[in-house]
Amino acid sequence: MKRDELIGCGIVFLFGGMTAVLSLQMPIGTFRMAGAGLFPLWLGILLMILSALFGLNLLFGKRAAPKTGEPVAPTPANAKLVLLFLGVTVVSMLCLRFLGYPAFCFLIMLLLLRILGIRRPVFLLGLSLVTAAGAYLLFVRFLKIPLPKGLIGL
Amino acid sequence: MLESLQHLISGFGIATTVANLLYCLLGAIAGTLVGILPGLGPIAGIALLIPVTFGLSPTSAIIMLAGIYYGAMYGGSTTSILLNVPGETASVITCIDGYRMAQKGRAGPALAICAIGSFIAGTLAIFGMVFLAPPLADAALAFGPAEYFSLMVCGFIVLSNVTGSSLLKSLMIAVVGLIIGTVGLDPVTGDYRFTFDSTYLLSGIEFVAVAIGLFGIAEVLSNVDQPLSNLEQKVIVPRFRDLYPSLQDLKTSIGAILRGAGIGFGIGLVPGPAPVIATYASYMVEKKVSDHPEAFGKGAIEGVAGPESANNAACQSAFIPLFVLGIPFAPPTAILLGALMIHGVVPGPMMISEHPDVFWGVIASMYIGNFILLLLNLPFVPFFANILRIPKKILLPIIMLFCITGMFTVNNSIDDIWLMILCGVLGFVMRKWAYEAAPLLLALVLGPKLEVAFRQSLMLSHGSFATFVERPFSLLFLVATLIFLLVPAFGWAIRRWARRRA
Repeated sequence: MKRDELIGCGIVFLFGGMTAVLSLQMPIGTFRMAGAGLFPLWLGILLMILSALFGLNLLFGKRAAPKTGEPVAPTPANAKLVLLFLGVTVVSMLCLRFLGYPAFCFLIMLLLLRILGIRRPVFLLGLSLVTAAGAYLLFVRFLKIPLPKGLIGL
Repeated sequence: MLESLQHLISGFGIATTVANLLYCLLGAIAGTLVGILPGLGPIAGIALLIPVTFGLSPTSAIIMLAGIYYGAMYGGSTTSILLNVPGETASVITCIDGYRMAQKGRAGPALAICAIGSFIAGTLAIFGMVFLAPPLADAALAFGPAEYFSLMVCGFIVLSNVTGSSLLKSLMIAVVGLIIGTVGLDPVTGDYRFTFDSTYLLSGIEFVAVAIGLFGIAEVLSNVDQPLSNLEQKVIVPRFRDLYPSLQDLKTSIGAILRGAGIGFGIGLVPGPAPVIATYASYMVEKKVSDHPEAFGKGAIEGVAGPESANNAACQSAFIPLFVLGIPFAPPTAILLGALMIHGVVPGPMMISEHPDVFWGVIASMYIGNFILLLLNLPFVPFFANILRIPKKILLPIIMLFCITGMFTVNNSIDDIWLMILCGVLGFVMRKWAYEAAPLLLALVLGPKLEVAFRQSLMLSHGSFATFVERPFSLLFLVATLIFLLVPAFGWAIRRWARRRA
């Protein structure tokens, strides 16, 4: 966890540094008439300072007891499943314009349900079809949202 | 005071039109569902339904979106009691005694007391709002950019102090949010900032995409990340005839409800995740004042009545800083600020005089919404409980589909969906590393306001930073900020000193 947090801290530090460097390419102005770059420059520097302090605290300080309300980090039980879930979403999204909204809904539901463990083909196909039809009727027909029509033209 | 009551009566006239009643009902139902369903919270719920309100008047739109917020608080308690899984963070504390009551076959009275307590607390909070908001708005008219800047800084520090595992971590995330908020056109000079020649980034980062990503997609991914066996859930469904509390239950709870309402109302006015803090504070108070503190944790009805009343009162009074100062102190009200702006209503001290229909209409609708929720939550509990029986492996893909579709409807842009998915991955990684997403969203929404206030203050003072300490209210907010920053340091020093003495 500490290693992960240090990596996260390093990324945030770099983000702050990058912000500061990019801000210098914008007009900085004066305090009286601040330019576009002044505020992000300060934020970049502040972020670098905060992340450096946090990093030092991680390396040399004692870990504080978690406060109430702190989110509990989930156990890394299904990293592959998360990647698969995201991958399917991204691939389906790439097909959205080509397939059109109803077919996209059917495809994404079918694939996501399948990877989450729904195996019975009739149930899988039926549920995907019903959800796609419901989403089409609600968003396209009822709410009149101009969602991509794709090949099918619906 | 009489004037406020007259305005409230006219607000009821607005809120009780057929259309507004319908939107209030829709918001309350959607909020209850959002509170019940895993993978959706009030923030993602409100963000998802903003596009649905585009064709509505500002009053109807905010009535519906506000209904989602306080409706989610009602819904969240249902899962806490029946499933021992809090629907919202504000319902965590309800699990302790609520689920114990359900295990003892008293799920019905627990749910009923939640609904009745929330109704009473919500009603009292609304009356508090009616009498507190107008004088506060008058006082806020004296605020200049320096006061607004100091107040927003104070808000960030307090929010960062009370969320997450570390102040430094939360502050880092808030600054990241402020930086993301600078993307697009400079609000003062009109220069491009961090757009990298992309036309998509010219109008800035779409906050709805960030909200749905961080709070909707990230929640879905976190659920997928659980072991598959956890995707199934066992729920206690109470029978309709067991739903009503006894007279003794009501007698035991009434004190807790009133105390919870007071605590919640006060906490809702200050920065931070008010409903969450209010529930913890109320639980502690109830345990302290109880004649039988040993019963807490084993199914004490006051342990349900107090916190649930507190979270509802806090969520209603959180509208005061939003409407009167134009500054949201928590992410759900930050999303509502975005929705108000989309509908052309700029919240702030002038809102009451410039948009009395929105202000008083929404306040009156909250009372009606509370009544609708009371009616919904008692007889329909078995129905909502049955929704919980739908396996997560079916719910999660449906939520994902709704997030994608909802995001597209905001600007009819597929780029927004990519941004949402990216923010979802970011939110998921942040959860893994125990970073709180709330400060990021709040900073993203408030960032441009903060920057404008900062630059205007310096312009007006000819570049002198003394303006922030010369103006009394600004100084007051900065002193409060300093105290909030120093409290953890003092605590640490005192503990260290005590350890050495021991």
